[in-house]
Amino acid sequence: MALVLKNSSAALNQHSFSPYADNGGSIVAVAGDDYVVIASDSRLSTGYSIYTRDQSKLFKLSNDSVLGCCGCWCDVLSLTKLLEARMQMYLHEHQKVMSTPAISQMLSTMLYYKRLFPYYILNILAGFDNDGKGVVYSYDPIGNLEKSKFKAGGSSGALLQPVLDNQLGLSNIKEKPEAITLEKALNVVKDAFISATERDIYTGDSIIINIITREGIREEKLELRKD
Amino acid sequence: MSILSYNGGAVVAMKGKNCVAIASDKKFGIQLQLISKEFPKIFEMGPHLYVGLPGLATDTQTVHARLKFRQNLFELKEGTRMSPKVFSSMVSNMLYEKRFGPYFVEPIVVGLEPDTYEPFICNMDLIGNVCFPEDFVVGGTCEDQLFGTCETMWEPDLSPDDLFETISQALMSAFNRDAGSGWGAVVYIIEKDKVTTRHLKTRMD
Amino acid sequence: MALADVCKIGPNFQFRPFKNETVEDVCEQTANFTNGFQLALPPFADPARNLARFNKDESGKPIQFKFDHGTTTLAFRYQGGVLLAVDSRATGGSFIGSQNMKKIIEINDFLLGTLAGGAADCVYWDRVLTKQCRMYELRNRERISVAAASKLLANMFYNYKGMGLSMGMMLAGWDKRGPGLYYISDDGTRTPGKVFSVGSGSVYAFGVLDSGYRWDLTDEEAYQLGRRAIYHATHRDAASGGIIRVYQITKEGWTHIADEDCNDVHYKLEEAKAASTSS
Repeated sequence: MALVLKNSSAALNQHSFSPYADNGGSIVAVAGDDYVVIASDSRLSTGYSIYTRDQSKLFKLSNDSVLGCCGCWCDVLSLTKLLEARMQMYLHEHQKVMSTPAISQMLSTMLYYKRLFPYYILNILAGFDNDGKGVVYSYDPIGNLEKSKFKAGGSSGALLQPVLDNQLGLSNIKEKPEAITLEKALNVVKDAFISATERDIYTGDSIIINIITREGIREEKLELRKD
Repeated sequence: MSILSYNGGAVVAMKGKNCVAIASDKKFGIQLQLISKEFPKIFEMGPHLYVGLPGLATDTQTVHARLKFRQNLFELKEGTRMSPKVFSSMVSNMLYEKRFGPYFVEPIVVGLEPDTYEPFICNMDLIGNVCFPEDFVVGGTCEDQLFGTCETMWEPDLSPDDLFETISQALMSAFNRDAGSGWGAVVYIIEKDKVTTRHLKTRMD
Repeated sequence: MALADVCKIGPNFQFRPFKNETVEDVCEQTANFTNGFQLALPPFADPARNLARFNKDESGKPIQFKFDHGTTTLAFRYQGGVLLAVDSRATGGSFIGSQNMKKIIEINDFLLGTLAGGAADCVYWDRVLTKQCRMYELRNRERISVAAASKLLANMFYNYKGMGLSMGMMLAGWDKRGPGLYYISDDGTRTPGKVFSVGSGSVYAFGVLDSGYRWDLTDEEAYQLGRRAIYHATHRDAASGGIIRVYQITKEGWTHIADEDCNDVHYKLEEAKAASTSS
């Protein structure tokens, strides 16, 4: 009898519902004077299973702004859809494509709107500032934005960020950081991803790199390990 | 907050060409509060043998004392120095004795094998599961950051000087992104005929 | 009713399908563009408590909102006006998300706000306040007083009291009554004062501040005091660090005095200490 009771009380344990999922993925962005590089991995996963090995987490918003967005994928989809709609409204109202700084503020406000039931996502926005220089904006889930020259985020953000600090910020070296060349930026981004893939199970398969210059957006792809 | 990150601290070790390096920060804190900037987490256990004990500070000290006690008994009885391999087995055994009430430390053992002077590194979890990687081991509150930096910066067959530069850069970049560790660092480079100890000038916030 | 009980659906539960078809739908999903005070209501009651229940995803992976947090900020009134000093670190969990965050917000030429607690919370409501202050200026043809501005802010916080917002802000400025300094927090508290410090490192900052504060400090002494208080806080508090930023407010408005890396401050002080003991 005791045994039966024990079992039935276990069966009563409710499976709790959660509106959130963590689908992993990482984003890295690096800005130079006349370019911005933004890259994401292409793995979409839930727990130990992989939904797909080929899902870019980069969203092209305009000819000089690309948003990297990862975390809860359903939130990513609804936010980017909304963002697109809002940008179109802006275009029709002002006869002008939204600039990257304008998008950055709008995104912050949109994220904060959901303060009491937030989007579970990490955003990194890459583009050009009002002086025409490369810029990276990064966000926390409720819209605290920070402007910087390089940023890593997502499931392996903690692994990637110190690497960028060291290689691009030259944090422990006496000499002042010189301007980062595009070639150097690309190499660091690739190296950082290859390293992160070794240690983070939610990052892998391949990376999609968008190189934004005044001439437009070029895409590169690099295969990563698939285990 | 996990009990392993209650006091903070980070340790990293790397293999080089005929040498090994082990480095740690010097912080002893209680949650967000800094208590001391002179707290050792790496201990010399023999001429070519060092152990790093990141984790709960009280257990760092207790485990170190008990390891030294057992090692002394062994060395008196056997009349020989303990090799890194034997020492790490002893650490692992001692941790597993407390399987259901463990010490909250994740030890890292480094050294050179007595006869061959082969580099040796290993780490274990808090109940004594040992790993012997070929490259580097990390432990402590900024484990994630250290994995990232070590994975990009480490390469095989580094000379003692290059190894020092690599391990220092890896550790400093990692703990500069972690609130739980930092406030000074110490690096030991262990070679066949000398051990070099260096203290790093780091951020103090 | 029984079904509602089993599903744990309370009277506050509203299921509104997310449509995104017309301009109205889009505007509804971004309602704070037109009215800054209005945030989306969650489909459950008591968000401060209930949001924390969604701490795992379907596969058991932990869901943790790592909002940027942690601070030392201080401000004090003295004969020369108001002095504000802050650090610049933002931590999410124990990870240092940023080392050069701006924790003093320039509301207008005569008003500054400091932020502690949730970074996004403070920045957003400061932005709403900025708009309010500008509107007041346009309507009344004079600048808003610090007292009025701080009351506007306190009222906004009071409206969202108990919803889980986290803010500890100081509002400083110069108006007809002279220098003004108020502390406003997420529970709707609003109190004027001479010396305040807010954030996880405030206990250390207060130690320095209380021992060195006088009303008749010179500008230079005030600057040194604020800078030293923040430095000692960044040293002892793991969640504070980065750059020490100092601002001053006089009857001409605010001026940005200095940005200094606290690492440089630390080694300069160490050197001075070593020199004084050896001589």
